[in-house]
Amino acid sequence: MTAVIEATGLIRRFGEIIAVDGVDLSVDKGEIFGFLGPNGAGKSTVVRMLTTLLHPTSGSARVGGCDVMTQAGDIRKMIGVALQDAAIDPLMTGSELIRLQAVLHGIPRSVIRTRGPELLERVGLTGAIDRRVGTYSGGMRRRLDLALSLVHEPQILFLDEPTTGLDPTSRQALWQEVRRLNAELGTTVFLTTQYLEEADQLAGRVAIIDHGKLVREGTPTALKGTVGAPTLRVEVDLESVALARTVMRGFGGERPSREGRVAIGLDEGAARVADVVRALDTAGVTVIHLELDAPSLDDVFADATGRRLEGSGDEQ
Amino acid sequence: MTASSVSRVMAIGSQTWELTRRSVVSEKRQFLSVLPGLIFPLLLAAVYTKQFGRVLDMPGFPEVDSFLDFILPACIVQAVTFGATAAGSELALDIENGFLERLLVSPVARAPILFGRLAGAAVVASVKATVILAVFLIFGVEVAGGPAAMFVLVVVAALLVLFIGAMAQVMAFRTGSQEAVGATFPLIFVSIFMSSAFFPTNLMSGWFKVVAENNPLSWVINPVRRLVINEWSSADALQALGLPTALAMMTISAAVIALNRRLAIL
Repeated sequence: MTAVIEATGLIRRFGEIIAVDGVDLSVDKGEIFGFLGPNGAGKSTVVRMLTTLLHPTSGSARVGGCDVMTQAGDIRKMIGVALQDAAIDPLMTGSELIRLQAVLHGIPRSVIRTRGPELLERVGLTGAIDRRVGTYSGGMRRRLDLALSLVHEPQILFLDEPTTGLDPTSRQALWQEVRRLNAELGTTVFLTTQYLEEADQLAGRVAIIDHGKLVREGTPTALKGTVGAPTLRVEVDLESVALARTVMRGFGGERPSREGRVAIGLDEGAARVADVVRALDTAGVTVIHLELDAPSLDDVFADATGRRLEGSGDEQ
Repeated sequence: MTASSVSRVMAIGSQTWELTRRSVVSEKRQFLSVLPGLIFPLLLAAVYTKQFGRVLDMPGFPEVDSFLDFILPACIVQAVTFGATAAGSELALDIENGFLERLLVSPVARAPILFGRLAGAAVVASVKATVILAVFLIFGVEVAGGPAAMFVLVVVAALLVLFIGAMAQVMAFRTGSQEAVGATFPLIFVSIFMSSAFFPTNLMSGWFKVVAENNPLSWVINPVRRLVINEWSSADALQALGLPTALAMMTISAAVIALNRRLAIL
């Protein structure tokens, strides 16, 4: 496969702060690449460097075979970008913004006239094209943002947290469109997200970033495979946590969990759950709630960083 | 000129046109924010004309039929300075809300990002100047220099907006804050009062006279006023257009430098 996004030793400092600390990446043509990490991990900074909005402090990156520092103009012609905040002029209508975006990309007006409505129909905004964007919901803005990033039919699409703040229905609709773009047009998608499910559902390969460093990279299946055993979470009274921890450590290595819970990697899987419950009962620990989860990307993140991802289901 | 440079120039033209259109459409859709800039100078002109009718008889005051003839250039300058910083404050808003990044990540040339906003503000200023001129003509003002002088009046208004707007854009790139850009407006407003806009400098005295005589706004307003109340004079037209053109070129160059600096430190 041909790598269309490559980064080597990418570093970005803001004064004393190192936002991105030696990131190496390679994304193949036609891939959906998930870039997963908590808020402030450095995801958006990497995207801003790859999309030529920010210069790397050191290291190098190539997008579509072009250097981000010396061939920024060529990169801008071939990429589509939907940034985190969906910055869209609220005074303009959807169709006006599509036309503006098309002109900026040098697309002839005759092409805009047919492509614009097609794009807006594809993202489900046909009925709203002549309404001012200020009247759009958050989900509609995101969908318009996606349509704008596709006006020039880019080979490579950067989506920076495209579903943050969206309701589940809008999120599903956006996922569906990203999958379609990738499957039908072969668009390479570089997707940053803090949602585990999003990375799991969409990405063929995932890189996890924390404190500016890549901590894991691989397919979701392979990454989950590295964690091994499923996670057993047991909720007990606060005063029994220490005792429960001691008992459960006999069945597998402890994993990060929220207060009032103890989590372990259950070495032999579901077959040992009854043994754990019996052991806790014998020790006088009352189990309030118990759950056994197959390894998730959050387990991978926890395994790599010792923390759970913010906003993940496991934290709630 | 090679074919590729022709197509590049055409692309820049088309991008500037579309970004200008965006600025004008934004102003049109915020019409209520444009309105005070028209109403306030007209009200002020009405009040001054009523209150200062007798100054027309003062020795040294230009010979005019009505104070309205005298105050027309000032009224237009005042109207266009309301919103003259829009090219900068709207740019600051684009920086604040991320729209500038949307532009920067596209293959748009950098110049249209500035020129689109400036040209939009200049179009709005020309419309405002035309409306005020029309109101003054309805109330009996006669422009001695004829249609050519009226044209100069409108173009001067547009040039002043380019000058002030580009200055505001420099501020926008430096601060990235709409509020900081907006804070420059009172300075511009005060500088109009400290010029020959509302009173001839030969009838002033003391430090105020020195300030007004050396205020570049007076150097623009005086020849425009002569075109209105005397007769057409190419020399006056050149003076009226020359200074704001030079000032606009200076501040636009500064805005281009400020944009390049901002992009260089990204």
